[in-house]
Amino acid sequence: MRKVFKKVILFTLVFGIIIVIFPKTNAEYINNATTENETLNDAIENVKFYSSFNYQTLTQDKLNKLTADFYLPVEYFGVSISYVIDSEYLALSQETEIINLRQGTSTIEKEVLKVTVLNLPNIIKGEQEFVIQATFNYLEKSFTYNYQGFITPVIPDDFLGGALYTLVRYGKMFLEGAGLTLLISLIGTVLGFILALFLATAKIIAPTPQDKALGRFLKIFFNKLSSTYITIFRGTPMIVQASFFWYGFGLFGNALLCGLFVVSLNTAAYIAEIIRGSVNTIDKGQTEGSLALGLSYSQTFIFVIFPQAIKNSMPAIGNEFVINIKDTAVLSVIGIFELFNQTKKITSLHYRQLEAYAIVALIYLILTYSITSILKLIEKRMGMKPLELTSSN
Amino acid sequence: MNILQIKNLHKSYGLEEVLKGVNLEVSKGEIISIIGSSGSGKSTLLRCINYLEVPTSGEILFKDTDYHATNKLIQNLRSKVTMVFQSFNLFDNFNVLENLILAPQKVLKLNKKDLIEKAYQTLDSVGMKDFSNKLPKHLSGGQKQRVAIARALMMNPEIILFDEPTSALDPEMVGEVLDVMKSLAKTGITMLIVTHEMSFAKELSDRVIFMNEGIVYEEGNPDIIFNNPKLPRTKEFLKRFNNNF
Repeated sequence: MRKVFKKVILFTLVFGIIIVIFPKTNAEYINNATTENETLNDAIENVKFYSSFNYQTLTQDKLNKLTADFYLPVEYFGVSISYVIDSEYLALSQETEIINLRQGTSTIEKEVLKVTVLNLPNIIKGEQEFVIQATFNYLEKSFTYNYQGFITPVIPDDFLGGALYTLVRYGKMFLEGAGLTLLISLIGTVLGFILALFLATAKIIAPTPQDKALGRFLKIFFNKLSSTYITIFRGTPMIVQASFFWYGFGLFGNALLCGLFVVSLNTAAYIAEIIRGSVNTIDKGQTEGSLALGLSYSQTFIFVIFPQAIKNSMPAIGNEFVINIKDTAVLSVIGIFELFNQTKKITSLHYRQLEAYAIVALIYLILTYSITSILKLIEKRMGMKPLELTSSN
Repeated sequence: MNILQIKNLHKSYGLEEVLKGVNLEVSKGEIISIIGSSGSGKSTLLRCINYLEVPTSGEILFKDTDYHATNKLIQNLRSKVTMVFQSFNLFDNFNVLENLILAPQKVLKLNKKDLIEKAYQTLDSVGMKDFSNKLPKHLSGGQKQRVAIARALMMNPEIILFDEPTSALDPEMVGEVLDVMKSLAKTGITMLIVTHEMSFAKELSDRVIFMNEGIVYEEGNPDIIFNNPKLPRTKEFLKRFNNNF
């Protein structure tokens, strides 16, 4: 406001000096025309609309998310303004009214036209663009300018409406989160499986009496290493592991890679135990049958035992994938926007926790249930015994 | 010439001594049946010969050579002295053909194409040619055992050890396996057979060994052992069999 006042005072001063010093000429007329344009431009740029809520100024940001009635001033420092609004959601009143604007401790009166919001668009339709066509009239000159904004649906108060609103409005965010969750779980399980092959092998191979000193030492060393690894990763929560590697080391300088790393390492520990258990259940006769033909221990292991053990442990490994879908939620702690963290973000945008968490629970359930069903189908096709969904880590 | 020589073989599991000094000589091409009651150590003796059980003491010489020192030597011995098990032990993850060619391919490093041809011939000889791409779980017990015999033959072994090959079979499937073994006996291969099929042992063997409490109690020509055993424990064991016969 003060800036405008300054401008006006400066303007008057300069104008006055020009009138005093120079006689009225053609040149002066041109000058005069320029000031008219400047005044109009000034009005276009600085005219303010007022919200019905405490008569606050409507910034462009608020105009883009309009939900309530507002006021349009009919005059700006001698520039009179008339309006046309073409929108089925808004109605411009014909009568002017006076509102009291706060100006520091005092109030000033302002003559305005009220714009009533007739109804809000529903959430399916989404935001609706509207245009306020304002015509500025000043000293027989007129200027037309279009102000754009969006009228936005409001979140309903009831649960179902709120849930529907959340789903439609933030559906894309949920989808992105679900995609990331699936990606991390899948890659984590696959990488974990590969790592688990080595871990399980190290843990299963036992030294034989015929081994030389070095071979014996290496076998025992890797055996202990693998056991320790499995104990540590199964004995600590993944949320701690994730925090340790990300906040402790800033591993890879990328939270997503670090998260994938942690999920893979964690899953590997569990799958290694699954494979080891599965190897133990393979009939001893398979080993004997192979050894009795002259195959070595390692050949027996690679060609006969391991393929059978891995095939048998496939249902449990698939189950580990399903568990990972749920457990990757803890990666929110290192700032990965997987499904759970996306939901937290959504609740911070509209403060409707009940609806948001109900939806995300449903999404998790759909993911785990459908993937379990698919895995069961595959297992049935491959003639394996399907495994029930068991407890999480 | 002795292809296999076992000298004073002992085997203990903890404090329990199963083999108490077994001495045995096997000449090339001989077919030996090992009989005896359960727990007499017949199977353990057989499993010691290819080191599936490591003997506690004693010597096993295959062609006058001791093979026990390293894993490599033991593998070498096993490829020449193969075994057929009571429970078949076919590889469940491979089909019949793959079961046959795995060991010769990996151990003897033979060409796969030749091996497939040889596998079909061997399967034909045990009457299982039509089952070459079946998985073991789709075969009956008798068929499995015939495949197991074919698998052992694929290594071109010099001795085949049979560890109760018909004990896990339904009575009506025993015949088909014994027929295969009979035709195998004609090829001149050395066979050591632990069995409870007395009539089979009597008919096929060159020599019968009766084991009792961890030693070779009595041995000899099948006619003598079955019809005229000398020692009391042998008489007692064979009485039941002869009564049923």
